[in-house]
Amino acid sequence: MVGVILGIVVVVGLFFVNKYWITPATTKAAKAGGQFPEAPGFQVTSLSGNKIDLQAYRGKVVLLDFWATWCGPCRIEIPGFVQLQNKYGSQGLAVIGISMDDGPAPVREFYSNFHMNYPVAMGSDKLGMLYGGIFGLPTTFLIGRDGRIYAKHEGLTDMSVFEDEIKELLAAPPNRKVADFRTVGYTAAKQIQTSTPAEVNSVVPGVDVSKLSPAEVKEYEKVLSQEKCQCGCGFSVLKCRQVDSSCQVSLQEARAAYKKFVKSHHS
Amino acid sequence: MRWVAVSLLVLLTAGTACASGPPEVVSAKAVLATDAVHAGQTAKVAVLARIEPGYHINAHKPSLDYLIPTRVTFDSNPVLKVEKVLYPRGKSVKFDFMDSPISVYEGEIHVGSVLKVSTATRPGAYTFRGKFMYQACNDHACLPPASVPWEASIRVVPSSVPLKPANSEIFRAIHFR
Repeated sequence: MVGVILGIVVVVGLFFVNKYWITPATTKAAKAGGQFPEAPGFQVTSLSGNKIDLQAYRGKVVLLDFWATWCGPCRIEIPGFVQLQNKYGSQGLAVIGISMDDGPAPVREFYSNFHMNYPVAMGSDKLGMLYGGIFGLPTTFLIGRDGRIYAKHEGLTDMSVFEDEIKELLAAPPNRKVADFRTVGYTAAKQIQTSTPAEVNSVVPGVDVSKLSPAEVKEYEKVLSQEKCQCGCGFSVLKCRQVDSSCQVSLQEARAAYKKFVKSHHS
Repeated sequence: MRWVAVSLLVLLTAGTACASGPPEVVSAKAVLATDAVHAGQTAKVAVLARIEPGYHINAHKPSLDYLIPTRVTFDSNPVLKVEKVLYPRGKSVKFDFMDSPISVYEGEIHVGSVLKVSTATRPGAYTFRGKFMYQACNDHACLPPASVPWEASIRVVPSSVPLKPANSEIFRAIHFR
């Protein structure tokens, strides 16, 4: 009798565990597949003089690592990336390093000393901005065969985390979204923000003004120069965007002003 | 734990110049060893830097050549000439991401300096400025090299006016040699 009751308790317990714990978790993971953004395209020249065009990596899994030689945690990760490139390169993994050092000299030395086996190019604020702003190093993105960013890791991350994610992404067919990608690690689940080249290269960084005429751009700039940024910098919204393109407060203000501007001029 | 650290990194952006860029983890100010100075004499100044808990910055003489040292710079000033800058000794700390301990600053540090007041300086109030330059990391990530400005007011008085000591506790801890 006790056994029967115990059995019923276990079955009912498993039902609730599935309903309130397992099912929501898998739903969340499936939903997350829809929010993985396209990796912004870029072209840079590697330290060895070769062109790196992200577009050419379509069909591969790309581990894009923003790092610097003065960053201890970055230096710890790199031998692991060399190993991953060795282990999974033939299966379609391509590691790309983007150095945020001021100049290439220490990067060349590091490249040689650490026997790096993947291309490294010098980064820039604009390239960082394309990937949502690189605030801390290392910052590493995992891009699937379909060109979407599936994970972003800020800070020193265990190689086993990268390896698990790489294996999962390598298993996906090219040009197929990994809808049920299991988000591993703490940053993968959060929304990954990116920018377009038109936004990055704009006179108002972060706002695509390509649809405005030159006269309208001037007028829009004037509007922003008369609006005080609420981030605490003491500048106008325009100046704040130009001085600190990573400021999300001025970005939202500039985008809101743009919408208003377009509405009043184009409707 | 790592998630908490990243959240902390994000939270620390509040109150910075623009709230969503890299966090400013160091603040700096300058104080003088006396309430005023005399023209033609030296003045002792300390730059006080406060480093946010959880972060460290490299010492002025870092243990490894690739680490970016902490530096205090002084804007050029016709009244004051920098004679000496005295950095505190770093604290040897072992981090998970390093094989061996490295020399860093944590908490609050005082950088001493000796400035020569130009002989031709007339009595009055003067402002001088500079930058505290650093590169910060926490236990799993590093921030780009950064600097924070500092400024101090200095009052030049006639040599007949006696000077009173100020900020004694701070200056007692700096070894001016």
